[in-house]
Amino acid sequence: MKMEDMPLSGPDNTKLEALVHDIYSELVEDACLGLCFEVHRAVKQGYFFLDETDQESMKEFEIVDQPGVDIFGQVYNQWKNKECECPNCKRLIAASRFAPHLEKCLGMGRNSSRIANRRLASNNNMSKSESDQEDNDDLNDNDWSYGAEKKAKKRKSDKNQNSPRRSKSLKHKNGELGSSVSSEPYKYNFNTGISYETLGPDEVRSLLTTQCGVISEHTKKMCTRSQRCPQHTDEQRRAVRVFLLGPSAPALPDADAVVENDGFDIPDGQTLMSRLQWEDSPDISPTDSASSKASTNHADSRRPKKKKRPSLGLNSAGGGGGGGGVGGGSSSLTGGSSSSQSNISLSTKKKRPKLSAPSISSIYDELN
Amino acid sequence: MSKDSQMRAAINQKLIEMGERERLKELLRAKLVECGWKDQLKAHCKDVIREKGLEHVTVEDLVTEVTPKGRALVPDSVKKELLQRIRAFLAQHATL
Repeated sequence: MKMEDMPLSGPDNTKLEALVHDIYSELVEDACLGLCFEVHRAVKQGYFFLDETDQESMKEFEIVDQPGVDIFGQVYNQWKNKECECPNCKRLIAASRFAPHLEKCLGMGRNSSRIANRRLASNNNMSKSESDQEDNDDLNDNDWSYGAEKKAKKRKSDKNQNSPRRSKSLKHKNGELGSSVSSEPYKYNFNTGISYETLGPDEVRSLLTTQCGVISEHTKKMCTRSQRCPQHTDEQRRAVRVFLLGPSAPALPDADAVVENDGFDIPDGQTLMSRLQWEDSPDISPTDSASSKASTNHADSRRPKKKKRPSLGLNSAGGGGGGGGVGGGSSSLTGGSSSSQSNISLSTKKKRPKLSAPSISSIYDELN
Repeated sequence: MSKDSQMRAAINQKLIEMGERERLKELLRAKLVECGWKDQLKAHCKDVIREKGLEHVTVEDLVTEVTPKGRALVPDSVKKELLQRIRAFLAQHATL
């Protein structure tokens, strides 16, 4: 081999150059041949001309390079301001918000059946009987707190504060409640609580009966875990309940209207209350009517679950059709109880004969 | 002359044995694709094929049409680099 190679590196440079060029052209021809095979195969398999079409479609699908349009020549933000009309409420909703709106409006989503129910309930408020309304409220509240328990805090606060639908429905409800004076002090009391100021008193109450409810120092939101949540102590929970529900108890005797509304209570709630009254002060004397009232309130605070709710529920109905019905009922009941001397004196002392009459009559019924 | 052809055969064998020929081929192919030589030749192939008709094209036709053009279209830089590498190989193995 050396013998052959030596002359190459020798003086015969032209020979060497020729050899190099030969090798080079051989390589190039190889490459050309490779390409030819490739093309030929493509032609015979039928995929050589796949990538090109006729001139017309080439023109049609030319890539557009202009400001304000995408590569297909379309204005890319043409859907940005599109609005859709909601088939249910006939409002125009931005397309991007349409699906969430529809969910709320039709009440078919996970969270929204509750809201829809509430809206239906508030719409039918006038026609519905009081107990029905209350049941509905109860149901909704339980629904709400159940959902809130499952949800993260963020979600909850989002629902409470940011959702316009929710605050709207709530406002609407408050507007109906507005006829009863008692809702006002509640509202002001609960304005001190920050994240749940949008909650109605009913909701706060039901929330506290099902959840921990301790208000966080940092987020100012209420804990949505169960009442046995390990993060907070019983002390804290008690403190929160005193804070939220405590102020409402002293507020009750101050406002006459509240007591008045107590008189308008639904029959079974009234009997319960009167029974309590009876138990607390077995012999009702005309002189301690005020104290009996106080004791009623006392009983209220001792049994917040059972007692508060009906008394609140009646508030909402007080503005509605409650007045006439109770008036009629009371007149018939006073007829039945007129024989009792103490009852009459009590009612006169109270100066609210219509209101106290049913309670006394039911007490009377209890006696019998 | 017989000695010349003998020498060529020896060198070719050496190129193949060392694997240098494969390496050079790969290098050339990459360079040619890089500089667009392949696309140019493909376009030329298309013309040829349209001219002859899709059904009647043979590999021989393509080779005769394409090879001269392919040789001419190789950029100088690629050609120089390749020649340089062949020379270096020969020099390296001639001195052994």
